[in-house]
Amino acid sequence: MVNVTITVNGQPVAADIDERTLLLEFIRDVAGLTGTHNGCLEARCGCCSVELDGAIVKSCNVLAVQAAGRSVTTIEGLSPQRLHPAEHITTGSLAGMYQPLDMLGADAADLHPVQAAFHKCHALQCGFCTPGMVMALKNYLAENPEPTRDDIRAAIAGNLCRCTGYQHIIDAGMEAAEQLRAQADA
Amino acid sequence: MKAFTYLTPGSAEEAVGLLGQHGPQAQVIAGGQSLLLAMKTRTARPSALVSLAGVDDLAGVRLAASGELVVGATTTYAALSRAPLTGWHTEIAAVAGNLADRPVRTMGTIGGALCDAGPRYDMLTLVTGTGARLEVLGPSGVRTLSPGEFFAPGGGTTLAADEILAAIRFPAADAFTRVVFAKFRQRTFDAALASVLCAARPGNGGVQITVGAVRPVPVVATAADPEAVAAEVLDAAGGPPLVQYQRELVRTLTAQTLSTVNGS
Repeated sequence: MVNVTITVNGQPVAADIDERTLLLEFIRDVAGLTGTHNGCLEARCGCCSVELDGAIVKSCNVLAVQAAGRSVTTIEGLSPQRLHPAEHITTGSLAGMYQPLDMLGADAADLHPVQAAFHKCHALQCGFCTPGMVMALKNYLAENPEPTRDDIRAAIAGNLCRCTGYQHIIDAGMEAAEQLRAQADA
Repeated sequence: MKAFTYLTPGSAEEAVGLLGQHGPQAQVIAGGQSLLLAMKTRTARPSALVSLAGVDDLAGVRLAASGELVVGATTTYAALSRAPLTGWHTEIAAVAGNLADRPVRTMGTIGGALCDAGPRYDMLTLVTGTGARLEVLGPSGVRTLSPGEFFAPGGGTTLAADEILAAIRFPAADAFTRVVFAKFRQRTFDAALASVLCAARPGNGGVQITVGAVRPVPVVATAADPEAVAAEVLDAAGGPPLVQYQRELVRTLTAQTLSTVNGS
């Protein structure tokens, strides 16, 4: 066992953990943030993508001890929805926690532009890969604000969508880039 | 994953000391992108992990007084791909920025790839083809190896259990007029099925062709035309015989890189 403190979405989270604990497990089981998904556990699918000190990583292929003392941003850190972890997730608790997106509108101020673009472009079907896709694109668009569609394809090469919704995800990436540029100009 | 002790030395010497103290079951972890996958399937079962993440001297890119480009072993692909390089060194950054995927490049390191010595990793072809020198730190100090000495002929490395790779010294920017790397992979994030590096020396130095991924270690060809290079790799020792598609890939990639090198 080892004591580790990781800052998750601005909040320090400290725990005694087994050295084998993956960053993904720390985020989900210790910090209680289940938006980061466990897909393949072998650094293929990208559903567990998070930012570690501002750089994108697959949290299933990083040990929590490697992230000790560092800062992690997860999908929950992008917008003010669901800031507190749920004790037990039920349909009822979800309903209380999330404002229905329709009520917000796709350009709602409390969605991150990448999230809003996913909503507007219908860039998800089952939604399992979405948190990883959004994190990967959010991180990439900060590096390259004027991407081509091919750039977006390359940026999400490490993220798999089994609903094969890639075209709409690329649409969303382009839309988000435009919105982010407009925000930067304003 | 088997249980292990996680050790965080603050210096390279301390890391070497810890490796000696914990014996051959201890293993170095840099980014961990290959090692953790192996540990999850228990094909690697280290009893202790010695992390090099806290050793600042081992990361970073700098030009030596001799003009050599010194790349610290724990320099990540992401950092290497963004390094401000000139001359043929830009090809190093280009190769580092076009392998695996972005999240893996954030964590993965050049030294990690070389020590893991996966035959299909681009870095093996890059250091072999450019004749880089590898600085290895052990209990009795630093020794500098050629790629031929660093990689074991049948695959893997000749590193002792208490040695670490400290840095990779690439030849100066004027050592080659042009270096071109090409590879074939099935999907963007896959490791190469075949890779070829052509390095053109100044004057009448000629072009050196190196073929990677199809043999346990990259093959430095003596021939200069694609068909002969493919035949030479076919005859090179180690591993099973080349199959048709590998031969085709070697021939095609060699022709492609040669024409790029000669075309400028």
